[in-house]
Order: sequence, then structure tokens, then C-alpha cells
Amino acid sequence: MTKLLPMLKPYRVSIAVALFLMFVELMVELFQPFLMAKMIDDGIVQKDLSVVLSWGAVLIAFSLIAFAAGIINSFYAAHVSQSFGFDLRERLFERTQSAPFSLFNRFPASSLITRITNDVQQLQNVSFMILRIMLRAPLLVVGGVVMAFVVNVKLAFVFAIAVPLLLLFLLRVMGLAATRFRLVQEKLDRVNGVMQENLVGMRLIKVFLRRQHEMNRFFQTNDELKERTVSALRTTETAMPVIMFVMNMCVIVVLWFGNLQLQLQGATVGDVVAVVNYSFRITMSLSLVSMIIMILSRARASANRIVEVLDACTDSGQGEKTSVRIARRTGSLDGDIKFDAVSFRYPDTRMTVLKDISFNIKDGETVAVIGATGSGKSTLLQLIPRLYDPDQGAIYISGYNIRDLEERFLRDHIGYVPQEVHLFSGTIRDNIVWGKEEATEEQIMEAARDAQIDALIRKLPNGYETVLGQKGVNLSGGQKQRLSIARALLRRPKILLLDDCTSALDATTEARLLQALKKYQCTTLMITQKMSAMMNADRILILDHGRLAAFGTHAELLESSELYQKIWHSQMESEERRHA
Amino acid sequence: MLEPLTRPFRYPKYTLSDQGELRAEGKRRKGQRAKNVRGTLVRIFRYLLESPGKLVAVLMMVVVSSAMMMAGPFIVGKAIDIHIVDGKDGIGLTLAVLIAVYLIHSLSVWFQNVWMIDISQQTVRKMRAQLFSRLHLLPISFFDKRRHGELMSRVANDIENVSSTLNSSFIQIVTSVLALLGILTIMIVLSPLLTLLVLLVVPAMVAGMKWITRRTGKLFKDQQRDLGELNGYIEEALSGGKIVRVFSMEQKVKSEFHTRNARFKLSAFWAQVISGFIPKLMNGLNNLNFAIIAGIGGWLAVKDVISVGTIVIFAEYARQFTRPLNDLANQFNTVLSAVAGAERVFEVMDEKTETDPPGAIDLKQVRGEVVFSRVSFSYEKDEEVLNEVSFKAMPGQTVALVGPTGAGKSTIINLLSRFYDPDDGIITIDGHDITKIRRDSLRSHMAFVLQEPFLFRGTIRENIRYGRLEATDEEVEEAAKAANAHSFIQNLPDGYDTWLEHEGSGISQGQKQLISIARAMLARPSILILDEATSNIDTVTEIHIQEALRRLMKGRTSFVIAHRLNTIREADLIVVVRDGRVAELGTHAQLLQQNGFYADLYDHYVRGRAVAQ
Repeated sequence: MTKLLPMLKPYRVSIAVALFLMFVELMVELFQPFLMAKMIDDGIVQKDLSVVLSWGAVLIAFSLIAFAAGIINSFYAAHVSQSFGFDLRERLFERTQSAPFSLFNRFPASSLITRITNDVQQLQNVSFMILRIMLRAPLLVVGGVVMAFVVNVKLAFVFAIAVPLLLLFLLRVMGLAATRFRLVQEKLDRVNGVMQENLVGMRLIKVFLRRQHEMNRFFQTNDELKERTVSALRTTETAMPVIMFVMNMCVIVVLWFGNLQLQLQGATVGDVVAVVNYSFRITMSLSLVSMIIMILSRARASANRIVEVLDACTDSGQGEKTSVRIARRTGSLDGDIKFDAVSFRYPDTRMTVLKDISFNIKDGETVAVIGATGSGKSTLLQLIPRLYDPDQGAIYISGYNIRDLEERFLRDHIGYVPQEVHLFSGTIRDNIVWGKEEATEEQIMEAARDAQIDALIRKLPNGYETVLGQKGVNLSGGQKQRLSIARALLRRPKILLLDDCTSALDATTEARLLQALKKYQCTTLMITQKMSAMMNADRILILDHGRLAAFGTHAELLESSELYQKIWHSQMESEERRHA
Repeated sequence: MLEPLTRPFRYPKYTLSDQGELRAEGKRRKGQRAKNVRGTLVRIFRYLLESPGKLVAVLMMVVVSSAMMMAGPFIVGKAIDIHIVDGKDGIGLTLAVLIAVYLIHSLSVWFQNVWMIDISQQTVRKMRAQLFSRLHLLPISFFDKRRHGELMSRVANDIENVSSTLNSSFIQIVTSVLALLGILTIMIVLSPLLTLLVLLVVPAMVAGMKWITRRTGKLFKDQQRDLGELNGYIEEALSGGKIVRVFSMEQKVKSEFHTRNARFKLSAFWAQVISGFIPKLMNGLNNLNFAIIAGIGGWLAVKDVISVGTIVIFAEYARQFTRPLNDLANQFNTVLSAVAGAERVFEVMDEKTETDPPGAIDLKQVRGEVVFSRVSFSYEKDEEVLNEVSFKAMPGQTVALVGPTGAGKSTIINLLSRFYDPDDGIITIDGHDITKIRRDSLRSHMAFVLQEPFLFRGTIRENIRYGRLEATDEEVEEAAKAANAHSFIQNLPDGYDTWLEHEGSGISQGQKQLISIARAMLARPSILILDEATSNIDTVTEIHIQEALRRLMKGRTSFVIAHRLNTIREADLIVVVRDGRVAELGTHAQLLQQNGFYADLYDHYVRGRAVAQ
């Protein structure tokens, strides 16, 4: 948690003010029983009304001061915690955008989202509470004990024993509870996991009539969850009755001992009243302390998760390498691509995904990339726009090592359609112009036409202005694919990277699309499983377990590559049988 | 120099009308308010009543602990008055009573907590189980209409919410009400005059709370909305991380994030500031009370109207008096949000379930003759998806469904498996109208192999056995062999006992496909429904899959949503679907002769090949 403290530095003035105001409130609270004791001893017992009234006025003045301090404290505390949270979110988000893309390998998007929102929110709330009440409770405990000592050392002595013991007890119970709650969370995840699984696989469960089977599975986890929750909650609920009992026993001790001391003239009536009063306050604050311990332990977990992200990029080793060289950012690139002995493995993994890959692709050429799942096709494509950098070897575009090119400059020449289509909420137009906002109406329509989506868009009631839901829920898979192709085409890229993005298209549409791509005259790398698309390409590149298995035209490969023959025959198998 | 000091007061004034435009942009969020608070509360209460003994015990314990809680300070006050101020003897007895009171108090608190935990967790367990069972009875249309994420949040968050509220709120509310009444009574007994003075503070408190909640209600809603939007944006930007990078849109994304982040900060700031007033107000009024009691009480004590002990305990009670009020106000919001959550859960439980008409029959044996006659269907009114679809499959035949995306192929499958029922027309199996057959009976004769093979968390063996739970290990392996899955499974370190994490991560897509074929094989269906995978499967595995499927389809009436021409060519019947109608019907050879849409499609493919060769 300490790692995040520097982020509070800009707000140190506000923090100081907030803490000071809190302290003012606290002092007022602590002095009240003291004032009351004065009132009783000097005023009531002496039957001096003026003393009673003047102390009463002081009390009222104090409580007004405390109120004002509390209200102003609200502003400062909220300012600090909100700004802190805001800054943290900005920092984290900035990280997700500027860190090497490999960040996403270490942290799945869903985990990053919870870190940026929930975890930050946690810390934000804690910082707010620290500035307002958190410090108050322990201070009240300590202050209460100290004040009791000031009032009467002998009477207060019992606190010196009870309070530390109770604090130890609290820490112990909370530690135990934390462990038990972790077990609860584990089970809860399981319960939700089964639930999720069932929602996704509902059709299958219905067809296989496995309702009862699934229910038994669920009930079992559900019961376990209940057992664990009960056990965890019981632990925490033991704390309060014990604390209250011990503190109440303290009151009794004070009364008994006070009674003795009164007779020995070692204490006044006011002393006893005040000390009893303090003990009530300490009891209340101790219950707050137990809450605080729980909140803090949760906050610590959040802080760790945040620091993990903030630190992630510095220790991955990737990233700032380019800054050493002078990055080229002007001029023009053509679509010449050269891989020179490129090897790559994903950070923090052991398996080499690409091994010693070398090839040349000429400007304007269309290359189909094929190979088994996990053979490294998508990785190969992702190295070109430098989503990842190779561990060995180099990639050249238009003769330049891509590491010597400014990232943005390089990427401006690339159109990329990832395997998993991603649409942003907004209109269809927003989604197409995404990445090239200055595009004209004609350019947009042309890109859409070439992506075989224009006709469909026009059929929609609002045409290009149709609003897509989050992730484009109201379009089919194939339509989304075409839309994201249009987005890439609009950039008029020199290099077009298509990652199996025609899978949901029917044969006719796909053929038209491939035909339309020809006029773009860009170098195209296209991952595909479809024979039709392979044959549309100038050359075919086959990856096998991360190695370049073969690279050549269809005719060449049919002659030289055994693997290609196998693929080809599997597709043509039945037909050849028919000819025979 | 002054800047950091004045900064917290220079946040833009947050008037709600200013935010109107921003709101229009944001997504409409599900109302957090419950619609039928009373009905839902009654329903939750009914769950609680299922263990009436414990509930009564809890209530009794609450009464006892409340009584003891109030008796404590009272006795302390008396002890001070009698023994300390007046110096009378016999403090020992008073203290013994006090010890008993505090002991009973702590014990009753402990018991009420423990029992309440039992009751509430039992309730939550039951709700979860019921919801889960209920989900399985709902028609598939229910799931198609909703996003899993939203359903999951009901199941997870909403129930959690109910759980935590039940744990604390029930006791809290009862305790607060009792405490309020008890404290008030004692205060009146102690000193009606001082009580009146303390009560003078209540209108001020009410007015203050009103002022605050009127603002915070809106502010919290805004904050929630802004947070939702921020969340949504982060999700969008991060899950599209690749194209953000490649399209060099980092700056734009960051600035859009910044806008939303700042907007959230503004509403959150004011929500926090103003809601932060509540404890300060309470505290302030408490302190004021204390001062009034001390001042006026002191004055009265001097005049010998009341005793010193009375002042001391009165001050203590007065301090406790605002607490239950404050707690009740807090509980009000918690309970409302839990009720809203419970209501969403109940909503799902109340959905109409899939039921079979009375007198629905069971099919013992199925030969597999399937007839669609003039079947029409629409998911939404006025949007016809199928229009008078008719065709007939003889037992053992393979029917290939061909056509562009969205033409209605999947709908035909949905109707056949009775995930939906036709609006018009009849589907028969072996001459029986399928709507007159019990769903379970109908489905027990079918098996599915879906495009995205779905595997459960568990071992491979368990996943295959899913097809027929009573199958022996030998039968499982038999099925795996027939599905060409045996060899790859054997090569895994743990063989059939290899553990698959959820949705089968750890093995390739093609291998998942093979397992799902083995599963279907084991089920021995008479009717088979296949959704051919379009991509992502490597060639060697693909060959295995094709082979396995051929074996699986043999002797079974099979419906295939086909993407591969091989499969289509080999089909006994090709149904070409276009815009919800059967455009063409026949074998490959027949359709080529017709020279229609199918011939076009095929031409395209063959031409592509010719060019390449």
C-alpha cells in the first residue's frame, strides 16, 4: 500500500487540513466528559450556578466548532479521496494504453477493468474514511485512555490492561475471519462458475436432459458455500459481544474501585463520572476499530492489485527499447515485408510460438497464412504492427527495421482486422470512421461497399446512423466482421492484415469481398481456413508448430509440400472420389 | 499558496439540470428502485419464516439484549448516585447485578447473531437453489433475450446483496426500534423536562436529513450512472485493445476516458461531500444535546431538581438516542437496495416455464422420420423468420441446411428441438406432432453437436459421459474411439482423467469438437443435429472430425447446418433456405440441374478452384 502513497503528495495541504479538522472534532469530543466533570465538581457540587452556565456555554461553543470542522472536513476529505481515485484511474488507464501490449497477456481485460474501477473505488473510500473517521476511532481509544489517566490515574489503570488485550484479540479474530472469508470467496466463485457454465450451456443441458444432474452439482457447491459463510460470519460476530463484555466489566471495576478511592479521598465524584463516561466511549470506538481492520485488509488487497498493474510494464523488459534509437516518423512506406530469422515467445511463457521465421513479401502481394490452431498465425500477424516485438531476428517494412519506425507512423500504414471482432458503442458510421475521422462521405461508403456491407446498412431504418449496442449486439457475426473490415479499408492501408475475419461469411459474400480487395493494391496477409480464400491469394504461407513449413504459390506447394497436399486433399477428397 | 486550500471549494456547482445533456448520452441504467417493496418484503419474510423457532428465538434475544443494553447505564447511574455521590454502602450487590446484566447482554447478542446468520444463510442458500432450478425450466427464448452477464449479476450480486442485508439489517432494525422506544421511555422516567429538551433536536435532525437526502438521492444515482458509463467505456476500450493500438487511437481513447473519469469525479465528489454531512450533523446535534443536558441539567441539579447521577445517565441515553435514528435512516437505504435486488431475483423465478400440455405423450422408439409442413415462425412480432417451410426427411437420411447467414437455418433447428414452437404449421416425428410429445421425451432421442462445442469444468471422461450418465468406462472409451478422440486423449498426461477448466480451456477447438462428438455418440440418438464448425480447426483434426461425424450420422436422421461443400454434396436432401423460405429442395445433382441459387453457389466455388489450378 505504501507504494501508492506518493500519489497523495499533490494533496498534502488538503490532507493536513482534513486531519487537523478531524483532530479538532476529536478534541471536542474528548474534552466533553472532562468539561462535564468540571461542571459537576466545581459547579453542581459547589452549588455555583454561574460556573455551571459558563461551562455549559463553553460546551456549546465547542460543539459548534466541532460541527463546522466536520462540515469543512467533508470538503477536504472528499477532494483528496476523489482526486486520488481520479488520478489512480488515469494512471492505470494510461498504463493500459502505453504499456507494451503484452500487458494484456498478463492481465485479461476483465481483470484490468475490476482493477481500474472496483479496486480504485475501494482505496478511494478508504482514503476518505481515513481522513474522516478511521483515525478517529483509534485516536478516540488512545485519547480516551489518556484522558482517563489525566482525570485519575488509579481509576484509569484498568484500561491500560484491558484495551491492549482487546486490541490483540481483535487483530487475532480479524485475521482468522480474513482467512475464512477467502474460503468463502473461493466457494462463491465456484457457485457463480457453475451458474455461468449452465447459462452458457443451457441448450446442451436441455437436449441431454441433464437438469437433475446439474442441480445436484449446484446444490452441493451451494451447500458448501453456506457452511463456509456461516463459519466465517460467526467468527466476526464473536468479536463484538466479547469486547462489550470486557469493556463493561471495566466500568464495573471503575465503579467498585472508585467507591473505594472516594472513601480514601483518592478520587472525586467527578473523576468517577468522567472515567465511566470515557469507558463508554472507548467501547464504541473499539467496535469501530474492528470494522476498520476489516476494511483495511480489504484495501490492502486492492492496493496490491493496482500496484501489480502499475509495475507490470517496467519489469516485463519490453517496451522502451525504441527510445534509444531515433525513431523515423516521416516519408512513405511501401508494402514490402521481410521477416529475418524471427523468433518469438509471449512474455512470461516458456513456449516459443514462432521459431526462426524468414520470408519476403513483395509490395501488393496477397498471401494466405494457413496452419493448425496454435501454429502461430495470429502471432505472426501481430508482430507486424508491433503489438509484440520479436525476441530474436527483425522485421523490415519497406526496407526499414520496424523498430526504427515510430509506432504511430508504422501503424498508420497498416489495416488490421483481428479475429475477434470489436465494435464500439456508437453509430455504424462512428465505427467505420474510427481510426480515420477525417474521412469523407464518399470514402466511407466506398469502404463499406468494398466490405460488402453497404447494401445492408442502407436497408437499416437509420442507415449509417444506426446506433449499435455495446459490442454491436444487434448485428450478426458476419455483419460485424464486414464492418470491421470496412474500418480497416477506410485507412487505405499499405499493408492489410486479416485474421480469419471472413469465417462467418457465406461463400458468395466472401468471394465478392476478396474481389473488391484487389483494387486496394495493398500487401495483404490473410489468415484463413477456407480453400476459396487460399486460392484467391498469390502465395500461401504454411506455419507448422511455429515454423515456416512452406511458402509458395498453390501450384508450387502442391508439388513440393507434403503438408499442403494433405490439406488440399482433405478439402477435395470427396470430389476426387466422385471423379474416380 | 492559497490555491491548495481553496481547491476543495472550487468544484463546479453541481446542478442537476446541467447534466441533462450528458445523461442523454449515457446508457439507461436499470432502475435501482424496487417496484413492489411490500410484496417483495413479504416474500423474503416468508423465507425467514421457514425456521420459525429460530426466528422467534432471535427476536427474543433482541428484546433481551436491548433491555440489558438499556438497563446497563441505568444501573450505572444509580450506582453513582447512591453509592458514590451519596456514599451509601452496599455497592457490591449493585455491581453483582451489573455483572449479570452485562453478561446476559453479551450472551444474548452472541446468540441472536449466530442464529440470525443461520437463518439468513439458509434463506440465501434456498433462494440460490430455487433460482438455479427455476432457470432450467425456463424456455430457451428467455436466455436468448438476455445477456449472460446481466443474468449472472442477478444470480451473483443481487443474491449477495440480499444475503448481507439479511445478516445485519433485520437485527439492526428491530434493535433500533426497540432501543428508540426503550431509551425514550427511560428518558421520560428520568426527567420529562430534559427529555423534552432533547426532543427539540429531533425536528432539526429531520430537517437536516431531508435537506441532505434530497440531494444525495439524485447525486448517488448520477454517480452510479457515471460509474456505469466509465465501466462500460473501459471495457470497450480494453477489450478492443488490439485495434486501439494498431489504429493509433490511444490519444482519442485516453481523452474519452478522461472525460468520463472527470464526469464521474464531479458527481462522486458532491455525493461524497453531501452524504458526508450526515454523520457530522448527527454528531453536531449529539454534542449540542450533550451541552444542553449538561448546562440545563447542571442548572437543575444546582437547584436540586435532579440528581447528578441522573444527568450522567441522561447524557448517555441522549447520546444513544440519535444513534438508532441514524441507524434506521441508514438501514432504510440498504433495505431498499436489497429489496430491489430480491425483486430482480424473484422476477426470474416468476418467469413462465416450459410446460408440456396435458396428455403429452412419450416416445419409446423413434425411427426418425421428420416432416415440416408449412411451418412459419417469428421471434418478434411482424418479423417473420420462417415462412411456410416444408420438407420431409426419411429415417437415416442426412439433411443439409444451406443458405446465407440469417436465412433461418438455426431457427429450423430451434423448432425441431422445441426450443421454440412454430406459430403456424406442424412438425412431426414418425407421424406425431412434436408439440404433443413431452419435451424431455422428444429430446431424449436427439443429440447436438454445436459449432462452439461446449464442455463443462471437469474431466474429459465426465464430459463424454454427459451423453449418457449411466455409461460404463468402457462405453465411454468406445464412444471416444468411434469419435476419433481416443488417440489424442490417450496422449494427454492424465488421459481420460485430464481436468478441463471451464469451457474446456486447455485443449484445442478441434479436440473439443471430437469430445462433443463422442458425447453425442454415447447418447445413441435417433435424430442428430449438427452445426458445422466454420473455422479455427486445423486440417488434420478436421479430417478426423469429418470421419467421426460420418460414423456418427450413419443410420441416424441428421440435420446439418452445413458450411462445407463436401458435407452438402453427400447429403440425401439439401434444403436451401433464403429469407425464411425454402428456395430449393433436392439432392446435389438435382439442384445443379435446376440451375438456381444453389447452382450459383456451387459454381462460385468450383470456379475459384479452376482459377487456382
